Amino acid sequence: MFDMIKKIVQYPRITRKYPKEALDHGPILGKPEIDSAQCTFCGACILSCPASAIVMVTEKKEIGINLDQCIFCTLCSEICPVNAVRITHEVELAVKNRNDLRKTPAVIEKQDIPGLSYEIMGEKIQQKARQTFGRSLQIREVDAGSCNGCDYEINSLNNPVNDLERLGMHFVASPRHADLLLVTGTATRNMELALVKTYNAAPDPKLVVAVGACACSGGIFRDSYATRNGIDCILPVDVYIPGCPPRPEAIMYGILKALDRIID
Amino acid sequence: MIYRSFSKIISAKFAEHIYHQKVAHANEFYLDVNPKKLREIATYIYQELTFPLISIFANDERNLSGKFALYYVFAERKQGLLIIIKTSVSPEHPVFTSIAVEIPGAAAYEREIHDLFGLFPLGHPDPKKLVFHSNWPEGTFPLRKDFNGQHRPPYANHELRFTQIMGEGVYEIPVGPVHAGIIEPGHFRFSVAGEPIINLEAQLFFVHKGIEKMCEGRSIEHCLYVAERISGDETFANSQAYCQAIEKIAHVTIPERAMYTRVIFGELERLTSHLGDLAGICQDVAYGFAASQFNMMRGWAYNLADELCGMRFLRSVNKLGGCRLDFVAGKEKKILQGMERLKKELTDTITIIQGKSMFIDRVEHTGILDHQIAVDLNTVGPGGRASGILYDVRKSFPYEVYDKLHFSIPNHKNGDVNCRMNVKIEECLAALEIIYQAIEGMPQGKIREPLNEVPPYQFAFGLTESPRGENVHWIMTGEHNTLFRYKIRTPSFCNWPAVCHAVKGNIVPDFPLINKSFNLSYAGNDL
Repeated sequence: MFDMIKKIVQYPRITRKYPKEALDHGPILGKPEIDSAQCTFCGACILSCPASAIVMVTEKKEIGINLDQCIFCTLCSEICPVNAVRITHEVELAVKNRNDLRKTPAVIEKQDIPGLSYEIMGEKIQQKARQTFGRSLQIREVDAGSCNGCDYEINSLNNPVNDLERLGMHFVASPRHADLLLVTGTATRNMELALVKTYNAAPDPKLVVAVGACACSGGIFRDSYATRNGIDCILPVDVYIPGCPPRPEAIMYGILKALDRIID
Repeated sequence: MIYRSFSKIISAKFAEHIYHQKVAHANEFYLDVNPKKLREIATYIYQELTFPLISIFANDERNLSGKFALYYVFAERKQGLLIIIKTSVSPEHPVFTSIAVEIPGAAAYEREIHDLFGLFPLGHPDPKKLVFHSNWPEGTFPLRKDFNGQHRPPYANHELRFTQIMGEGVYEIPVGPVHAGIIEPGHFRFSVAGEPIINLEAQLFFVHKGIEKMCEGRSIEHCLYVAERISGDETFANSQAYCQAIEKIAHVTIPERAMYTRVIFGELERLTSHLGDLAGICQDVAYGFAASQFNMMRGWAYNLADELCGMRFLRSVNKLGGCRLDFVAGKEKKILQGMERLKKELTDTITIIQGKSMFIDRVEHTGILDHQIAVDLNTVGPGGRASGILYDVRKSFPYEVYDKLHFSIPNHKNGDVNCRMNVKIEECLAALEIIYQAIEGMPQGKIREPLNEVPPYQFAFGLTESPRGENVHWIMTGEHNTLFRYKIRTPSFCNWPAVCHAVKGNIVPDFPLINKSFNLSYAGNDL
């Protein structure tokens, strides 16, 4: 008992002050950027990008990265012969509209789950949610086919370093208690039904946040026989958090954004 | 050479049924045998020579030899030799003899081969579907070469069958695939009589993403990034195994500095993983103080990873032929300070938790995995070491510079949660020691060796000890620097059946605790 108290005294507060104080970016790898002034449009990065996230229109001299697909592997910066690609330390990338992450417009797969008009429902919910959820939020996490990286990062939101509960957010055991679904993974064939059932089990109004490159667009697992390309093929998504995996702070930022508690 | 004596024994017994023998990459011994005698040969190696079966996989070689090939991988763990028995299956008659009755560990592999290749294991005790659930159409086999990897077949709806336990008062509890905690999806069927669990059947493969098919025909650089995303917290171990296999095929020896760097990162990954498990075990018995302590230490380890390479999950560290950058240079002091701090805090916390009799009461004699079952199922990693299997890839098949470093393998016999916890604690302390030694012994020099184009249709194994145990990757290259076949067998695949045995006789509320003490990856199992 004495030892325990000694430890508690030794570490009175280890929680970071993240949303209150800006993140100390340090050496962390964030969003890649292409400087079109330096770029020679040789196309080397497009060929080598593992997630095929880089797009280019040679005639217009335009090049860009679709961040919802990007897996932040830094390969483009290594391969570029003229050093036009720079890896920034920016990680707060969550957006509400997927097209904001993209250079080319997103083509979302046909939504063919019968009997649910998600689009209309989603819009209504979005409006309602803002008024309904004050400063408390119950979150249900669903893994729909991730590599478990995102799940570990979500897990670490609960640890004493990040401590999400201080912001009035709790992870709950059942979708019936949830206001927000935090979905990771590409929506695999085997998880599709479970994901839809979980969504339907959560009471309205509800929010859906897609965590990680896989959930946003399929990431590196795009176009496989066993997966759908991102969860917006199945559910209406309110906020997209890119990253592979996004850091706990980036996820926190995304959740706060979903609740309109972040001022742009 | 070690394979010679083995070759002599096996030739004396089955001479006329062995078509071809070959040694590759110093410790991979391939034997091409008569499919009709396969069961006898496999059983002989397993039972008489007592070499465990570590993997079975199929390969669609119809373009090369007109047949499907089956590879049975056995490991001689004392001297570090892999024995690979290869047979063929004709496409006209796609069946093969099951060895699951003689070798219980083979059951899951054979079911997997049936789902993905459409080769039927004759005589299998329970040939039900493994990879695809009720929604996959019959007669569609994605790993055959004539299946387009981007094609999504229509949805079917079959009935799924679970083992039923009959008897008075026996009831079933279905759990999952979406669980109460923040974990990955899997479905569990508990058959319970009163309090104790009498049977548990796990239905996995909910996160099957088709990784093996996705890699076929892709360039070797591309697949490194896929390998890093097989299982999130085993990123480094998986990418290392991948690099190892490709480097073997390309006949490249990586610079010594890169070897030491890989050792440091590998052990750092083990630390983060084990500290997380220890936190989880404490959390599951509602010992909040200890969980918070371990989580804090895990946070430190992650911060260290951040400072070294900018990625908490150690992604983009490995490159084919070495490492991406010299991550350790100039940061030695920081690493040593971090290790010192971790070591002190860890020993303090361990003293506190091991003196708590109420905590020890919960973990002792809970979820016992019997030694014989562990051997039969080839349980690897901390799960196996807690049940008396003294095996570690770093000792038996030393890679990088592990043969130059001093560390010992934890050895426990009881096989309960307490033993698994102690194994993890000891491995954490050993990992710290290894990092100390690696930083001390690290030479100066370059960190990457250039890689030329790899020759086509060559194959090699990559073996690493991931935080969860033995990790086996097999790669066959295709033309123009691509992959022809990538077989991944992570430790989770071997250990899942062991979990189902370990929970028997325990009460349902202890299941999360037992599950956590194994801490298996669903993504690494489902692929």
